[in-house]
Amino acid sequence: MKVTVKRWHAIAQWQWDTGTRSDPNTEQEGAGNQTQNDDDEDGDGDVCGICRVAYEGCCPTCKVPGDDCPLIWGECSHVFHMHCLLKWIGTAASKQQCPMDRRTWVTAERKVAAS
Amino acid sequence: MANFDEIFGEQWKRSVEKICGASESSSLGFSQAWEIATSALKPRPLNEHPPPRDQALVLAAVQRIHKAKMTPFLIDSFLGDLRKCEHFIESEINESMGRYDASQDPNEVAQLIDRLAQWYKHWVPNPNSQSLYKTFQLAFQTHLFSFLPLSFPDAFKALLVETIGQPVESNVIVFQRFEVLGFLDRYESLLASVVYQQIELRVAETCPKEWTSRKLADLRTWLKEKIVPWLAAPYARGARTVEDARAMVSGIISRFDFHVCRTLCDLRIKEIFDIIVDYPDSMDALIDLKECLTRVDQRPQLVTALRKANHKRLLHPGADTKDILSQYVSTIKCLRIVDPPGVLLYKVADPIRRYLRERPDTIRSIVSSLVGEGGDLIDESEQPGPVQTVAEDFSDPNWEPEPIDAGPEFRTSRPSDVITTLVSIYDSKDLFVKELQVLLAQRLLAITDGNFEKERRNIEILKLRFGEAALQVCEVMLKDMTDSKRIDHHIQAQGQSIMHPTVISRHFWPPLQGSRLRMPGQFREIQENYGRGFSAFKPDKRLRWLPHLGEVHLDVELSDRTVSVEVSPLEAAIIELFSSKPVWSMDEISVKLGQLDHVTVQKGLLTWIEHGVVSDQGDNTFRLLEQASTSDVRPAARPMDIIEDTSPVVTTEQQQADQMRIYWQFIQGMLTNIGPMPIERIQGMLRLAPGYDRTVEQLGGFLEAARREGLVLFMGGMWQLNR
Ligand SMILES: [Zn+2]
Ligand SMILES: [Zn+2]
Ligand SMILES: [Zn+2]
Repeated sequence: MKVTVKRWHAIAQWQWDTGTRSDPNTEQEGAGNQTQNDDDEDGDGDVCGICRVAYEGCCPTCKVPGDDCPLIWGECSHVFHMHCLLKWIGTAASKQQCPMDRRTWVTAERKVAAS
Repeated sequence: MANFDEIFGEQWKRSVEKICGASESSSLGFSQAWEIATSALKPRPLNEHPPPRDQALVLAAVQRIHKAKMTPFLIDSFLGDLRKCEHFIESEINESMGRYDASQDPNEVAQLIDRLAQWYKHWVPNPNSQSLYKTFQLAFQTHLFSFLPLSFPDAFKALLVETIGQPVESNVIVFQRFEVLGFLDRYESLLASVVYQQIELRVAETCPKEWTSRKLADLRTWLKEKIVPWLAAPYARGARTVEDARAMVSGIISRFDFHVCRTLCDLRIKEIFDIIVDYPDSMDALIDLKECLTRVDQRPQLVTALRKANHKRLLHPGADTKDILSQYVSTIKCLRIVDPPGVLLYKVADPIRRYLRERPDTIRSIVSSLVGEGGDLIDESEQPGPVQTVAEDFSDPNWEPEPIDAGPEFRTSRPSDVITTLVSIYDSKDLFVKELQVLLAQRLLAITDGNFEKERRNIEILKLRFGEAALQVCEVMLKDMTDSKRIDHHIQAQGQSIMHPTVISRHFWPPLQGSRLRMPGQFREIQENYGRGFSAFKPDKRLRWLPHLGEVHLDVELSDRTVSVEVSPLEAAIIELFSSKPVWSMDEISVKLGQLDHVTVQKGLLTWIEHGVVSDQGDNTFRLLEQASTSDVRPAARPMDIIEDTSPVVTTEQQQADQMRIYWQFIQGMLTNIGPMPIERIQGMLRLAPGYDRTVEQLGGFLEAARREGLVLFMGGMWQLNR
């Protein structure tokens, strides 16, 4: 017997590859089969440290997520909505530092396609 | 004085004659004059006439008696004679009424009255004098009415009804007879009641369920053409000019017009629920009702009747929420026609709104009508306007009533349209937006041909109603659809894939059902390949699959046949397993697909069993049917010829079970609100639900099944929820 797939309409969610998260489709194997692939697995690690909105959401000034409201990676390994960080850096209080660790903000060169 | 003659008799007459005769100076002796006068006046049978006499002689005789101041005695004598003759009319009446009672033919009454008038004419004093005539009339009518049987008023009424259709000229004669006999004064109230009855009859004959024409106008035409001409005879008697007559009749006409309005109004109020159901076809009936209400204040009755009908026919567990909503919308439209100030509407709509708020599926129903699934709830032609956040206040004192003569079209253009009205059932529109999002998600995810223009159009319309901001989320959902298509296009260009996913922005979609499903074999590969293509195109993004959603079109190539089907990913995953080995146990499948629960696996397996691809071996193992089975292991297996049929076949048995499941919701509601109930009472309440046709035994069977499922308990003869 042979199964020939002619067409597959699938549903997926997109995710930022922050570099700190495991592959969403394989993580179950590592974590055992009990992990449910649902929406409740957001940890604090998945939200922007400035606006507290999920990375896959958008910053308070944007209305559309994704490419229109991209992320920015710091050398310090912290990740923010780009708009949030630029706004923060624009304030005098920021002293050009990462709001999480107070190290001078240096935007990281984005690694390409880790997988 | 009537007995004078009886008491004194002939003796007295003779002695008077002597006295008067002695002083007689004129040519006519008193005795002779008395003789001439009494004989002329004497009432006789119809075929008998007084002796022919010179009229002048009779007059002279009466004057002679008058001169002798004996007129009162003459009158007494006349009355005495009259009394002696009254048996003529008595027997006339008894005979005629006897015939009428038997035949109910008003013609008998007409003939009787004709005869009575003849008697009257025959006996009327001649020569006449005012006092003599008055005396006669009073005496005649007194006798007449004392002879009329109790059934006479009804008979007279029947005759009056008969006259309504007759030509004016003949009625004038008939009514003159009535007048002479004193019937018109005595039966004045009958006259009006005959017309009232005619009006009621006319309404009952021509108006019930006739809602598509202006019946009030018809009735008024009828009143003008049939009744008004007839009125002249009884009500304008004695009028000397046409103007006189009109003035005399106008008051009574106005009373009858009022009765027309009232009768029609009563009828329409009785029919109001169905009139609303039939709206807009019943527009004319509503305009009539409005006009009637300006004449007759039956508003409180209208409110009471409609509330009662709504309560009985609409606001019960058996009614479909969609039907309630559509009747609610029609009620609003109709009452705005009938009562522009909106006071009635508030009183009627409020209980419906309260009821709808309590129904769990109201929002869903409204929302599905918002996006075009609701049938005709929302008029396509209606101009969309912004939804007011505040609930519409029907009792608003600043509400400006529309001019009374503004047509109904005027109403529909009011800014508060149907959707606003529906949304205003709730205090906030957020609930709607949330529900809208869920519905939109379901519809978008079901789209396989990439055509979601209809949804886009819906959202555009809804934006006008709910505001841009409220629908931002939906905007992102639509953008996801466009982006998915664009990205897929790009990925396909890089390397063909049979996969065409919809990629969503998770925080902008309603929560989707989770699943542990993991796709095996080639499906896994397809996913991974596509994922790589995606990440190559969007380097800092990756895909997280929702593997259980969507659908797969595939061919199962077996040694003797190919089965081509569209299945869920779960079903696809199960059959994929069988391509590596022919026999699988439930546990093996479950583990291999990500620790799926057995019920889910069972459901997926059943599809393949029904397609005749897999057979249930019993003992929880399943075997691939590489060759089509001739002796089916399971009766569920279907013949080959319908295997290509991809639409799920629903048996009537299933449908029935589904129907009963609908009623479960009501049963649950009853038991929650009322508490434990005997089966008869449950059945009684369910019977109010339209379409419910189960017997008490069938209900019993259903409850018993529910008990086995642990949903209800049966204790002390009462059913109750198991909580
Ligand atoms: Zn942010
Ligand atoms: Zn932004
Ligand atoms: Zn940092």
